[in-house]
Amino acid sequence: MENKRNSQTIAEYIKNWSRKHSLFIMAYGTGCGAIEIPATLTSRYDAERLGIRGAATPRQADVLLITGYLATKTLKRVIRVYEQMQDPKYVIAFGSCTINGGMYYDSYNTINVLEKYIPVDVYINGCMPRPEAVIAGFQQLQDKIARGEADNGTRYKENLEWYRANQHRVIKNWRMPDYNW
Amino acid sequence: MEGIGLKILGALLTTIMAFAVGMTYGGITRKLTARVQNRVGPTIWQNFIDLVKLQSKKTNIYHGVMGHFAPMWIITAAMTVLMFIPVLHPNSTWYSTWFPNLTFHGDLIFLLYMMVFGSLGMALGAGQTGNPNSAIGVTRGLSQMVGFEIPFVLALVALMVQYKTTSIQDIMAIQDQSGVWMMFSNPFSFLAALFASLGMFRYSPFDIVGAPAELASGPVSEFGGKYLGVMMTGGSIFAFIKLTLYVDLFMGGAYSIPELLIKTFALYMVPVFYGWVSPRYRTEQAIRYFWGWPTALGILGVIIAVW
Amino acid sequence: MNTLALIILIFFSGATLAYLSSLISNKLPGWVALLTTMTGTVLFYMSFQNEQALSFSIIGLNLEWALDNYTILFAHIIFGLGILASLYSVQYMQNKSQQGSFYANFLLSIGSMFGIIISKDFISFFIFWEIMTWSSFLIVVWNGIGFRKNGIWYMAMSAIGAYAMLTAIVLINSEIGTYSLQAFFNAVQENAIDNLMLVSILLLIGFAVKAALMPLHIWAPRAYSNTPASYTSVFSGALSKMGVFGMGLVLIRVFRFSGLQDNFDYALVSQFTSHVLAWLGGITAAIATLYALVQKDAKKLLAYSSIAQLGYIVIGLAIGTKLAVMSALFLAIMHAVFKGALFMAVGAVERQVGTTDMTKISGLIRRMPWTFFVTLVSIIALAGVPPLSGFVGKWMLYEALITNGNFFLVVVVFFSSTAAFLYSYRILFGLFLGQEEDDTAHVKEAPATMVIPMVILALFLIVTGTYPGIVFEPIAHGMEYLGFTDVTWNMTVLSNVWGDSVNLQYVSTTIGVAFMLALIFLTFKGRKGTRGVSTKDISTSGEIPLEHENLTFQLDFFKPFERAAAPLYKRSITKIYEDVANGLEALFDFTRKIYTGNGQTYAIYVVAFLVTLLIVVQNML
Repeated sequence: MENKRNSQTIAEYIKNWSRKHSLFIMAYGTGCGAIEIPATLTSRYDAERLGIRGAATPRQADVLLITGYLATKTLKRVIRVYEQMQDPKYVIAFGSCTINGGMYYDSYNTINVLEKYIPVDVYINGCMPRPEAVIAGFQQLQDKIARGEADNGTRYKENLEWYRANQHRVIKNWRMPDYNW
Repeated sequence: MEGIGLKILGALLTTIMAFAVGMTYGGITRKLTARVQNRVGPTIWQNFIDLVKLQSKKTNIYHGVMGHFAPMWIITAAMTVLMFIPVLHPNSTWYSTWFPNLTFHGDLIFLLYMMVFGSLGMALGAGQTGNPNSAIGVTRGLSQMVGFEIPFVLALVALMVQYKTTSIQDIMAIQDQSGVWMMFSNPFSFLAALFASLGMFRYSPFDIVGAPAELASGPVSEFGGKYLGVMMTGGSIFAFIKLTLYVDLFMGGAYSIPELLIKTFALYMVPVFYGWVSPRYRTEQAIRYFWGWPTALGILGVIIAVW
Repeated sequence: MNTLALIILIFFSGATLAYLSSLISNKLPGWVALLTTMTGTVLFYMSFQNEQALSFSIIGLNLEWALDNYTILFAHIIFGLGILASLYSVQYMQNKSQQGSFYANFLLSIGSMFGIIISKDFISFFIFWEIMTWSSFLIVVWNGIGFRKNGIWYMAMSAIGAYAMLTAIVLINSEIGTYSLQAFFNAVQENAIDNLMLVSILLLIGFAVKAALMPLHIWAPRAYSNTPASYTSVFSGALSKMGVFGMGLVLIRVFRFSGLQDNFDYALVSQFTSHVLAWLGGITAAIATLYALVQKDAKKLLAYSSIAQLGYIVIGLAIGTKLAVMSALFLAIMHAVFKGALFMAVGAVERQVGTTDMTKISGLIRRMPWTFFVTLVSIIALAGVPPLSGFVGKWMLYEALITNGNFFLVVVVFFSSTAAFLYSYRILFGLFLGQEEDDTAHVKEAPATMVIPMVILALFLIVTGTYPGIVFEPIAHGMEYLGFTDVTWNMTVLSNVWGDSVNLQYVSTTIGVAFMLALIFLTFKGRKGTRGVSTKDISTSGEIPLEHENLTFQLDFFKPFERAAAPLYKRSITKIYEDVANGLEALFDFTRKIYTGNGQTYAIYVVAFLVTLLIVVQNML
């Protein structure tokens, strides 16, 4: 038992257990991966049995899905949505494009490494990952949450300056409210 | 002093039961919906898990004082209405021991108005967030309310005029004496009220308030964490309240908790079943729907009740 | 000197003084008016317990003034609202021109309203009625804007009412030979008036104009929205109640307690009239509500809402059972309070922001928290949501209608009060909620002398929500004057004739406890992680609106509802009146053509007339 709770307090364990089993996703259909989301959520693969359901706005969401390549224009919106989400929040990145740019590695208007701009909890590789892979990714995230290791928001807050510097480098017309947490 | 202690305990117990039943019904609905769509679906306790998750969010935001107050208004309204509704039949042994509430100090008209209290708070909170989707959702909800209140009120007026009482307990007692449920003695009124319940529960085709597709969940779009959690709690209690009110008025009330659960669940499945096979109406279509056949049935019910 | 005469004299001389003082300084009349109303109010409250009566004769006409319990009920409204409105008015009117004439008319109308209710003879009643009409008319056209649009309607409708009333008074005099009200009531008891129904209906028309009953209501939205807010609160709150005052006398004292209910024809006609009036009240409430919710201007919205609320009051009076009359009088007082407060609140917004157009304002809650508080409380009372006092009146009205068997009317009332939630939300959202405008960033809360009267009214609503008995007491006395016997009331328990009741103390206690529990839970749970953000920080699908972009939803607020209720919006009374007017104009235009100015045409007319005459005479023979 001690081992399974990973030296969390009981209250923390219960909280993490509920977080693990109730993931409201903010599906940001940035790239081609968006097409995998409906398949994951509907009858065939049924992600709802794992407690995963769609959220309508970032205020209600726990997980931000970055589904594929990110244009710099879109990155700005992604950052805005990410910052509007409430702690604890998690990010899952789909496909090769979010890891190293994938086939868009030399494109002038997409970013290559998502990790430089917002912290990512789980990468699902593939181009694109099939729903099985997506669900496997979710399960990996759930394990991470249960162990109490998913602290995406804290990481972002602590390294805000570094992330901001990276963001400023690619977003030329920076016109965003301050992230004041 | 002991009496008051017992009353508070009873009130607490009623609230907890209403909350638990409402949440579980929501969970069962999710499970059943999943089965209808050939999915496995979440567990029926999924709503509780969601609630615990929402309450254990580390950060929360509000957009101003009304945004902070809105969830309180909802839960206040829910708890107050619950206190004035006979959960079980007054003649049952359980009632006096475990559910002594304030039923004797309120009546139907009061309940009708008290139910609006929560919606008003919700509307104000949603308005304060400044999100246009919230305000649009609120206007839709209020418009829809004008729609379904007409058949609902017609049904209630029929009961009140026919039996010359506005008290829920008297209506329950009348059903006890005659041995016939109102849903059989006043079938048209019951149908009108049943149609109105479709709008009250806001399942398809009347889910125009939340409208996840175009309004991003409408009024609650800026609420998250503990605020959304409290709203969810209030909503669950309200679902239970509406069902209990219908059971009390039209199905003779319940003598024990299992009976209450069976009756309320049967009623709850009506809007759910209707929702599974329906797409969404537009707001004006929804209002027109309620002003059409349901209202006609309600008028028929009143005419029959008077004669 | 008699106190009644003194009060009237104080108001009328105060009016003169206010006008004269404006010649010295534009700031003076406000203080003169405040002083006058204060003196008048203090005098009234010092002496109203005593029996007050005064009779004197001028040029052979006997005039009688007296206080009775029914009068005192309305005097509370007039003086209570009058003194708060004049306190509010001082700062509100600060920078406006022509204050002299405004305050002179302000005082005249308050004085004449008091004159109306103390009059015990038709002559002084009518004279005060006309002074009231003229003084309010002069305030409607006070700033000289929109005379044709707003003033004419008010004048025309008032003229219709006045002529109807005058005809009735002359008819009464020709029958009983005196102008005394008491003599009239006595004659009614003895069945000494032949065309009583005609007289009553004529009187009712006269009162219905002031109570803005359909189809005589069309002046009201125009007149209410065109007056300065400090007067509108009196206009809508107290002046319209004069119509209710008169209707109460006719419908209850003449129709219900005339002792003539045994007379079958009479009973039939009076009941028919009452029913028609009740339905007119219901339709007024429903239609006015529908029009209120499409308004863009907060003042216009409140004007239509006033008409709707007066509709409920008329229903209560027309139904005429004990509970119904009680609810009508209770609603009359509560309407005076919450509509007075609402007009003041909107006036405060108008003064601080410069407009009441809801499409141009949003997010004032942080700038004007007290005004928001007052509006919120008044709106909750208006919508009839427990635990505020509006609910008490609504509850009694519903129960009265249901127990009396008016089951379709109750649905109409229910429809209009449910639709009232729509406009209630519209005004709260339109003015105070939504995103904050940059233009209104500099706006501050209204000065204290404006906020205090509003807050007093709001507190009154809160207190009477739990203890409506405070108001029931004068109402019960007033109803006894009207003819009801043993009117029962309870401090906190409402009950109907079927024995069903609502205990308001339990209601407010439960609400209070539940709210406190929720407040403690929500405020203290995770307090460190909770923060307030600006209304600009909203989820907009990732898009970041520019600083000056305001996303508040204000235009076509209830468009779907309008579409659903489209058939109800098609007909407009104003249009019908205009059509009638155009038709008449065309008719007169045609008649004018007879006079061609040609001698031969006239010769033909003479011949034609003679021929017609011959034929007619022959046929008759």
